[in-house]
Amino acid sequence: MNEKTPQMRRPFSLKRFVRNVVFLAVAVVVYLYGWKVTEINLGVLIRDVKDIKPLVVDLVRPELMVREEQSRLITYEYPIPCPENFQPKPAEAMGMQLEVKPGCGKADEITVTLRNARPNTSARVEWHFPIGTDQLLVQGTTDENGSLRLRFKRPVATIGGEKGLHGVKITLYWEEGPLRVSDTVKTVADKMVETVFLALMATTFGVIFAMPISFFGARNLMMTTKWGAVVYYLVRLVFNILRSVETLIWAVIFVVWVGIGPFAGVMALTVHSVAALAKLYSEAIESIDPGPIEAITATGASRLQTIIYAVVPQVIPPFIAFTIYRWDINVRMSTVVGLVGGGGIGYILIQYINLLQYRRAAVAMWAIVIVVSAMDYLSGYVREKIV
Amino acid sequence: MLEIRNLNKIYPGGVHALKDVSFTVEDGEFVVLIGLSGSGKSTLLRCINRLVEPTSGQVIWDGVDITAAAPSELRRIRRQIGMIFQQFNLVKRLSVMTNVLTGRLGYVPAWRSLLNYWTAEEKRMAMANLERVGIADQAWKRADELSGGQQQRVAIARALMQQPRLILADEPVASLDPATSHSVMKYILELNRRDGITVICSLHFLSLARQYGTRIIALRDGHIVFDGKPEEIDDRRFKEIYGEEAVEVEIR
Repeated sequence: MNEKTPQMRRPFSLKRFVRNVVFLAVAVVVYLYGWKVTEINLGVLIRDVKDIKPLVVDLVRPELMVREEQSRLITYEYPIPCPENFQPKPAEAMGMQLEVKPGCGKADEITVTLRNARPNTSARVEWHFPIGTDQLLVQGTTDENGSLRLRFKRPVATIGGEKGLHGVKITLYWEEGPLRVSDTVKTVADKMVETVFLALMATTFGVIFAMPISFFGARNLMMTTKWGAVVYYLVRLVFNILRSVETLIWAVIFVVWVGIGPFAGVMALTVHSVAALAKLYSEAIESIDPGPIEAITATGASRLQTIIYAVVPQVIPPFIAFTIYRWDINVRMSTVVGLVGGGGIGYILIQYINLLQYRRAAVAMWAIVIVVSAMDYLSGYVREKIV
Repeated sequence: MLEIRNLNKIYPGGVHALKDVSFTVEDGEFVVLIGLSGSGKSTLLRCINRLVEPTSGQVIWDGVDITAAAPSELRRIRRQIGMIFQQFNLVKRLSVMTNVLTGRLGYVPAWRSLLNYWTAEEKRMAMANLERVGIADQAWKRADELSGGQQQRVAIARALMQQPRLILADEPVASLDPATSHSVMKYILELNRRDGITVICSLHFLSLARQYGTRIIALRDGHIVFDGKPEEIDDRRFKEIYGEEAVEVEIR
């Protein structure tokens, strides 16, 4: 047996080995750096899971129905400094009694006692400064007898000095009466309609502009002449530049340009839609059967006639499919452009979140989920039926 | 009379598809082009109406140099030259009727065709041409609902709308079964015999060429290797055209 047995392993090569080691080292450095600059901290993720709890809890109980809010107010006048011959006397209002100790002067700690109030009711205690501003101090709940005792540090006025007639205000608040649809639901519904129409307008404008332009971006139609090729490359370049800028950035630009509101959102979505649709349309035109073009050209038809009779009928189904697809994307994007001031539901969502009104934010979020998935289903259905 | 003078076509990729091709076709002839795939038949037909731009040489039709025609003049020439394709090249999503009417595009003003408005006369003419190829009852169907043979007949009706004096047919039956092939070839032959339209038709099968052509031109690698009567093609000639290993097959 003179035959060499075939080697089962690839022969060792130093060059390949070094190359692999270098590649590995570079990969390690890249990922270590990436981990550092993006401040990845898995510990925080676990440690601060409690912070997300109120948000999650409120998310599952959106503020859909509310009762009429009722409130009672009682104010104790608190003079600084103490007048001469001061006789402490509780404040009275609607049968309630509010005792404040000490009842005047620059005390550090103050005790308030509320009696004969509505039992088991939330209450908030505010300090009223002589200049007319209020500061929230503490919150509490009355017991079954309608009593409440709270201690707090007296707030120090920063503006206007200490002297004057301060006040201790206690507000009792509760809900009463039949359930009704909350104002949040009405606002959200209103903004949702705005959102859907924002997407509709942007898609429509997108189609109107993209459709004619797309013919200039189709290789098979434009490459027949030298000037056609120039136009083709220019159009393609503009599409690519417009498309590479994200919708949110366009929204920021248009908010600066036309001001906060849905119009800025429409413009942002339109610009991106035109670029994206024109590219998709152009590709649909490029993939048509060239046979009919040849046949219609051979009859002596002009270029325009050839496009109308040989190209247009072939691209209608893909055009419809791409338009529905874009409408789908625009509905989703229109919920986001509001975050930067582009109108629609995103605008109120970010406001609710900033005001920590999570139950209201939950209404907006659920509305987005419902509308986007409904549109998703609807567009899928239409696409199936038409194309 | 159609004169082809020293026609050359070199494609951008460097393929030399036609090499110094010259011949003359008298009015009323039925010329069949034969040759292997890639021998230059399609290129030759497309150079005549300039769907493919010849590299050099001339095509002269009744004293008019087609190769030198300006765009608008070229369109006036093209509308008198009907063309039939292997893949029928109908617009599939349009009705048979509209497909036939498109044959008239070279004659109607642009604004009218943009609105897809056709006169009663044009519609009557389209119906008459559909009747002629025996598918008037299919006029309002979508083109892609028809069988291959029917689609090719729609294409013939479309060419007839041009009231052509010359028909170029590029492998008109290569996508059809033998029986349908004969029916389509008979319609083309009838245009030649009854209407006196000159026909230049490329075919795969020599048997079909012998049956329908009054004259056969054979191409091989872009050269004319035979030009004569069908009966002159004997075994030796056949091998010259199709190569040593070829065997003639009959199609009935």
